[in-house]
Amino acid sequence: MAFERASFRRLSFARRGTLPATARWRRQQARAFALGLAPALLVLAAITIGPTLYLILTSLTPADPVHPHSLADFSHPLGNYRTLLGDGEFINSLWVQAKLSVVTVVLQLAIGLGVALLLNARSRFLEAVRTAFMVPMVLPPIVVAIVWKIIFTPDISPLHRALADIGLPVHSLIANPDLALWAIAVADTWEWFPFTMLMVLAALQMVPGEPIDAARIDGAGRLAMFRYILLPYIRPTLVVAGLFRLIDSIKAFPLIYVLTNGGPGTVTEVTNYYAFVESFNFSDWGYGSAIATLMVAGVLLLSWLVGRLDAGEALDE
Amino acid sequence: MRRRRFLATSAAAAGSLLLLPGRAPAQGGAKPLAGTTLNVSCWSHPYAKLLTLFIPQFEQETGAKVNYETPSFPIYNQRIDIELSTGGSAYDVLNVTFIYIGRWIEAGWFVPLDGYLKDPNKTPVDWGPGDFLKGLTVAFEDKAGKFYAIPWTGDIYMAGAARYDIFTQAGATMPDNFDALLATMKAINKKDGVPAFLAENHYGWSFIPFLQGFGGNVFKNPPDDLMPVLDTPEAIAAADYFSNLVRTYGPDGAISYTYEMVVSALKAGRANYSPNGQIFLVQMGAPDSKVAHTCNFSICPAGPKGRFPGVATHGWGIPVGSRKKDAAWQFIRWAMSKPVLEQMIARGYSSITRRSLIESPEFKGKMTINGHDIAKIYVDTVAYGTQGYMKYRTVPVYPQVDKQIDIAIQNIASQQMSAKAAMQLAQQNSLQQLKRAGVNL
Repeated sequence: MAFERASFRRLSFARRGTLPATARWRRQQARAFALGLAPALLVLAAITIGPTLYLILTSLTPADPVHPHSLADFSHPLGNYRTLLGDGEFINSLWVQAKLSVVTVVLQLAIGLGVALLLNARSRFLEAVRTAFMVPMVLPPIVVAIVWKIIFTPDISPLHRALADIGLPVHSLIANPDLALWAIAVADTWEWFPFTMLMVLAALQMVPGEPIDAARIDGAGRLAMFRYILLPYIRPTLVVAGLFRLIDSIKAFPLIYVLTNGGPGTVTEVTNYYAFVESFNFSDWGYGSAIATLMVAGVLLLSWLVGRLDAGEALDE
Repeated sequence: MRRRRFLATSAAAAGSLLLLPGRAPAQGGAKPLAGTTLNVSCWSHPYAKLLTLFIPQFEQETGAKVNYETPSFPIYNQRIDIELSTGGSAYDVLNVTFIYIGRWIEAGWFVPLDGYLKDPNKTPVDWGPGDFLKGLTVAFEDKAGKFYAIPWTGDIYMAGAARYDIFTQAGATMPDNFDALLATMKAINKKDGVPAFLAENHYGWSFIPFLQGFGGNVFKNPPDDLMPVLDTPEAIAAADYFSNLVRTYGPDGAISYTYEMVVSALKAGRANYSPNGQIFLVQMGAPDSKVAHTCNFSICPAGPKGRFPGVATHGWGIPVGSRKKDAAWQFIRWAMSKPVLEQMIARGYSSITRRSLIESPEFKGKMTINGHDIAKIYVDTVAYGTQGYMKYRTVPVYPQVDKQIDIAIQNIASQQMSAKAAMQLAQQNSLQQLKRAGVNL
């Protein structure tokens, strides 16, 4: 008992002596971190928050560079947003955007996951194949668009020629209003599924061997192994990859600009492209900024929802 | 007395040398623009790229340093639109883009050149301001008659056939009117596997001669009355006729063909007849063209209401923000001088704007392709431009309607809509866009 009391006293003394020092150290550490981060935060604020605020402010004006006074005309701050509600072309562009995003994200996740599972082994050959799969992703987007423009133009396309040679002629996909969006989705998937593949591969290689071995001993088949062992491990990665691709799909531009210009008619005119046309072809900066602001808000909302979904699932587990 | 006259004559000769483009000698050992830096920009037209080769001559002769850039057409227009709107002084010489004439000149963003042209100290008489084709210079005049840019190109809409041998076999000639055009396309389509008709998918440019040929127009009375008139019976008939040509006689996916693709298809003999700009059609006579010995050319066909070939131009102007306006004018004067343009002709430039050079044997020789006189078609077409039917294209809000025309023709050609429905939709959307742009309708 006496020994315990003495030990407690020593401990209390030690705590009294060391705690203030730790707190001081932590405060100093926090200050050092803040000072270290400050330049980066300032730069970040200057290059992201500043322009975003400017975008929002511009969206509250009828800004048009021909009329400089319009850049500071806040007399009808919600005018652009009210007009957007009744703008059929804008609403159509949202619908086109939604279709394109859903199709491309699903395709890229499915193909990226499938290819990653096939390539998830250690061999020099597979490493070479993995590198080859990366090529589309590292090409400049405009080059990808030109490559697909050639592929989708029947009279110069090797693909169309090959199909015609085997008796399966296919008409132009990008000039067909029913297929043009699918054609863009295919090109976009070709370009970006390696991103999903890369992320899933990294996640697969982090999966510990023990549960896999245990499942094998228990006689689990490949499907069961994927469903109950691999998928739970890689699900957070899939969610993050999907979110990245979703955000990027909303920024789709070069493929549409080069392949279809939003046509035939308006069947491939996504919101981003519509904002570009309004801002730069028509010089309606205020209206274009309003569209862009809604897009930023939409992306933020999506990110938040997906983040919550992911967090909720993690808590459930 | 004789000595005095000699001295006076010598001084005048030296003075004129200073004024002559490309002949500016040193003044007291210094070149006239030594220490001056000129910032010049033009979109990446063949002329603008060719000029790059000659700019060192200007620099050497004047002592000026020229920063010269030639971005792509859309990038140039966007960049310069922003630059001009802010009244910046970043550029001294700029291209005045045809479709932005109404916007840039009416906003007062360019300096009138009349003062420079009329002052013999700034422009020697033999430089020849009156030598430029009237059908082109008229585009750069404002309502008060002030003049803002020196045209360096005339982009005219004409017609070309890549495989005229197929025409001959079918007993057809270059069509002169819309009825003959349709009949000819029927007669030659898919002969030797070649689709008969191909137009670039910028229909706000390629469709308009057909629209006007049928008696329609884009606006009621541009630039004064900008009420769109895309849903008139004439406009609907024109859209139906033109979309039928594109769909029925064009290659697979014709509505996805940009102008570069059209040129490439024509040069390879993968398409036959095309109404297009002469700058593109003359490439059928290039050494790498497979159709150099089978091509033919004509003026744009006429419709029931007349012939309305597109005539566009671009010109050099001086932005009001420039702080070196006199030096800028010297650059323009030099760039559009006969000696420089003659060198360009020698290198194959085909869109000359000076009548004296167009009529020169050198130009005629260069512009005779497979035995056909393109120079004559060019001059005849530019003459149509003086009638004023191109006013629709230089109003500031044309891009808004241009887009709706593109969409309408695509909707019809891809069979998403009837001509009537597509043109009514184009009219409705154009009205909305113009109202939003503040146009008083």
